[in-house]
Amino acid sequence: MRTGAAAGHTGYFHEAVYYRDESDLLAVVLPFLLGGVAAGEPTVCAFGEANAALVREATGNEPGIVYLAGGDMYARPASAIRAFQNLLAEKAATGAGQIRIIGELAPWMFGETWDWWARYESAINHAYDDFPLWSMCAYDTTITPPHVLHEVARTHPWVARPDGHERSAPYTEPSVYLLEQHRPVADPLQAGAPAVTLTDPSPVAARQAVLRAAPDSIEPTVLDNFVIAVSEVVTNAIRHGRAPVHLTLWTGLQRMVLTVTDHGPGPKDPFAGLLPRTDGEPGGLGLWLTHQLCDYVTLDRPGDGFTIRLTVNAA
Amino acid sequence: MRAAGTIADVRSLGAHDHVCWAFDDPADFQAVALRFLLDGLAAGHRVRLVAEATDAERLLADPDFDRAVVAGAASVVVPGEMYRPDGAVDPVEQCAVYRRDTERALADGYTGLRIAADATPFARTSATLDAFARYEYLVDRVMAERPFSAMCAYHRPTVTAGAVEWLACAHPLANVMEAPFHLYAGADGATALVGELDIASAPLFSQALSAAAPLAVDGWIVIDATGLGFVDHRSLLTLSGYARGRHAGVALRTRRPHVARLVDLLELDNVRVERVA
Repeated sequence: MRTGAAAGHTGYFHEAVYYRDESDLLAVVLPFLLGGVAAGEPTVCAFGEANAALVREATGNEPGIVYLAGGDMYARPASAIRAFQNLLAEKAATGAGQIRIIGELAPWMFGETWDWWARYESAINHAYDDFPLWSMCAYDTTITPPHVLHEVARTHPWVARPDGHERSAPYTEPSVYLLEQHRPVADPLQAGAPAVTLTDPSPVAARQAVLRAAPDSIEPTVLDNFVIAVSEVVTNAIRHGRAPVHLTLWTGLQRMVLTVTDHGPGPKDPFAGLLPRTDGEPGGLGLWLTHQLCDYVTLDRPGDGFTIRLTVNAA
Repeated sequence: MRAAGTIADVRSLGAHDHVCWAFDDPADFQAVALRFLLDGLAAGHRVRLVAEATDAERLLADPDFDRAVVAGAASVVVPGEMYRPDGAVDPVEQCAVYRRDTERALADGYTGLRIAADATPFARTSATLDAFARYEYLVDRVMAERPFSAMCAYHRPTVTAGAVEWLACAHPLANVMEAPFHLYAGADGATALVGELDIASAPLFSQALSAAAPLAVDGWIVIDATGLGFVDHRSLLTLSGYARGRHAGVALRTRRPHVARLVDLLELDNVRVERVA
């Protein structure tokens, strides 16, 4: 049975919380968490260290609240979805009528890779909708850039305030939001000379070129995983895209950036990469694996083709 | 460990090695077969050439080979003498014959048995090819266990389309660069894999698994993939599915970190990854 603001709702009740200071935050978060404990619902706090400590203190170390170290869950969007889906399935299997989670994105996610996390916030409206989940995502308005807050309003259907809950007027359905075209910002490495350029490479040629060109600073496991991603996106371009296929690799001491461009339309599925598609959607599983194995992935449809860009950090 | 992968010549092959040799010019087959068998003689093996008369003449013209024939260390056999007239081979029976001939060679004081054969007749049609590929896997197991080595030669222009690549994958060694992987008999009953598995090799890999038909021991099919440079998610799904069809798990030995990561992401609960340094 759903309780609180989510009473009567089926599926995922996804709220944003905007706060300027600690008392702002606690005014919304405390009733949410303590209400969950009182209702006997699995109640999870996935805040970073500082806000988690705040909650512990404010609740007098309430034992009914489970704490999740934010870092572990939020390594990358596709991994976060997978981790949370597993967690939610586990909790739901215990017969819980509702699960409450409070969380926050770390400030570094509002930087160059923000679009990835905006897509995450949009996709989870669908990805967690099989579960009786009520979650709040907290955003500190004193440090969150305005363009980020704009997208938060478009990806969260509800807003939680101390005096009540209301719909977020700019909210946009994920199936629409995720297909909006945003040209990715070029990585600074892309301004320099590429280490590798190939036309119509086979997957094995692409893998070998990347292995040969990778700087020694790239940690072996990172490189091994990156090579899987490269193989997958080249395979997708060959099988589902349209020739010619161009592969370009830039290398730096701190990271590698690789693009694969083909003349096809790219994946049609709005959730491509964020969710594994095993229902026959072409290339779906490979794209999802790629999103698990790289530190940043962008999908670009400039009009006459499709470019996927992969970024991995050295370690 | 037996040698595996792509080779350019047959020098320095050992008592358990098994090579697929594709040729365009019969003179190439003759020269390579001669080298292979002379090396075997030098190592103390009993050797046998299985080929038509025109090829045999070339080898018999070599004084060292001829001397060995006279001494009983080498023999020449026409394919028809060894195999059934319809060109098909009875895998179980042929393996038994080779095991017996190997033991006889050892009993007669030789260090093992080595054969160079023109196996083109068995790869002329896709029907005989499939049966022969299955046989190659069975006889490869004999070679893994006993001091029996062989070179199976195939005339590219004569054999059916795709045969050379298919057969190359079914031997530990081949002079066929386009073979993406080799699936063969490993040590202690394991099935060994070298090369790389991806979208290009996917159909061949499914085919190879079916033909090799590795068996489970105590519920586990052991795959020694320490020589495998890359395996993609499709190939792992194929392996997992193959084992599931036999109500078994896969124990996959690998050096690559990415394999365990993929198995974890794919949630393949019947695949156990054993990392080897």
